[in-house]
Amino acid sequence: MLNFSLPLARGAVAVVATIVAFGTCTSADAQMLKTVKDRGNLICGVSTGLPGFSNADDKGVWSGLDVDLCRAVAAAVFNDPTKVKYVPLNAEQRFKALQSGEIDLLSRNSTWTMSREAEFNLSFAAVNYYDGQGFMIRKSAGKDSALALDNSKVCVQSGTTTQLNLGDYFRANNMKFQEMAFSNVAETLKAYDSGACDVFTSDVSQLYAERLTLSTPNDHVILPDVISKEPLGPAVKQGDSQWLEIVKWSYFAMLNAEELGITSKNIDEALKSQKPDVKRLVGSEGAYGEQIGLTKDWAVRIIRQVGNYAESYERNVGTGSKLGIPRGLNHLWNEGGIQYAPPIR
Amino acid sequence: MLRFRRLLWMPLLAVMFIVLPTAQGFSQSEDMNIGDEPGRVPDESVQLPPQFQRQMVLYRTTEPPGTIIVHTSERFLYLVQGNGRAIRYGVRVGREGFQWQGLLKITRKAEWPDWTPPPEMIQRQPYLPRFMAGGPGNPLGARAMYLGTTVYRIHGTNQPDTIGKAVSSGCFGMVNADIIDLYGRVPVGTKVVVKQRPSI
Repeated sequence: MLNFSLPLARGAVAVVATIVAFGTCTSADAQMLKTVKDRGNLICGVSTGLPGFSNADDKGVWSGLDVDLCRAVAAAVFNDPTKVKYVPLNAEQRFKALQSGEIDLLSRNSTWTMSREAEFNLSFAAVNYYDGQGFMIRKSAGKDSALALDNSKVCVQSGTTTQLNLGDYFRANNMKFQEMAFSNVAETLKAYDSGACDVFTSDVSQLYAERLTLSTPNDHVILPDVISKEPLGPAVKQGDSQWLEIVKWSYFAMLNAEELGITSKNIDEALKSQKPDVKRLVGSEGAYGEQIGLTKDWAVRIIRQVGNYAESYERNVGTGSKLGIPRGLNHLWNEGGIQYAPPIR
Repeated sequence: MLRFRRLLWMPLLAVMFIVLPTAQGFSQSEDMNIGDEPGRVPDESVQLPPQFQRQMVLYRTTEPPGTIIVHTSERFLYLVQGNGRAIRYGVRVGREGFQWQGLLKITRKAEWPDWTPPPEMIQRQPYLPRFMAGGPGNPLGARAMYLGTTVYRIHGTNQPDTIGKAVSSGCFGMVNADIIDLYGRVPVGTKVVVKQRPSI
């Protein structure tokens, strides 16, 4: 309710005109959806094999939390989650493959950082897994907090940010520690398993995977503390805002479905719901999917064929998987975590 | 809260099923068709599946430390510790139709509680004892904590294999080692928040 003076109002008109012009420009660039549709499949960049996130079985079938995001986008676009071609990429190749147009979407346990968005001209769409550095110790130590690790011997991989974070954390909390650094993960883990260290530190998702390889996995616990930020998520090439929105909202649909109690099993029931939030998500009210170039039932396709976030999480990295990682930070915001999707309305 | 107030008007109905599961068929696969087994002395050395074992987890909440939060759909009971963490226990919960949500307080605590099945229950399951003194074979297990003036409680069990299942009539059951641990940590007056998956 500001009163504009005349020159200011003129300025405002100019700004609006510029925005409109840009808007036109952006939609002219919105080619990716058409390219993907014309081709008949989605090309998704994934890891070369990371159980729980993106991994191919002996028949070449890909699964994982990151793979589910590829499947969700394919479900939204084609109503068929199998219309995906997976391209395994190593850490060095991944962003270049996005830049060159070799892949439409990168869903490969990649940490969202400022320099990556700027340097590689890409946009992260969301955070589908909040990872971060944690600690594994022997159960027999009887400790339940990282703050109780004073005077520990810690095994860590050298030359990593993990090593730097370790030092920072102990110093910041006035704790003493003896560092035992090794050049690779296997050696670091072996040293811990042999009893050379009391503590092993790495990203939490890796701790759960690495615990499985110890001689007696059940004798070890992973502390609940997370001491660094490793937000992992899907990325797309910059410049096509519609494509960015499709990836972003495909993920948000899975989160919102969980929050509203909609699963792959009760989706038909949800179609008959009278709750406004549910009606907007399943498309029985409004035409939200159409606004981003999809259909009204875009979210139904995802939920029915891929599931909500909880279903995907538990199946791939949670209690339904070998990893058994507790939801922790990845719980919904109203259930003890920080996963939060903007509303559909 | 609204939903819970409505439930307060139904204690007479609920009393029929109070505390104990009855032998009926259930639609959900994780529900168990299992009756009470008074007199069964549980093997306390059997380990729960990893996710249902007592453990410290990351848990952010605006509830103060000392609050109990039950996530019915996950089969977890959290005891808030502050500093973004909570102790998590595996529980068994009410089967479909016997689940509720809201805020209550612990009004009473009892060690090795006696069991007196209500008349309605005796009528349906005549083989049940009229009274059973507290002890290792008692279906209420080692400890019970009573919630408000309702028929609900958090108690032990002599059926450790039901942890993680939806079998009870609205009570929360835990293995005896866990209920003893929790009992020692919370006083009468403790806030208990019960959460449900939202209905569609």
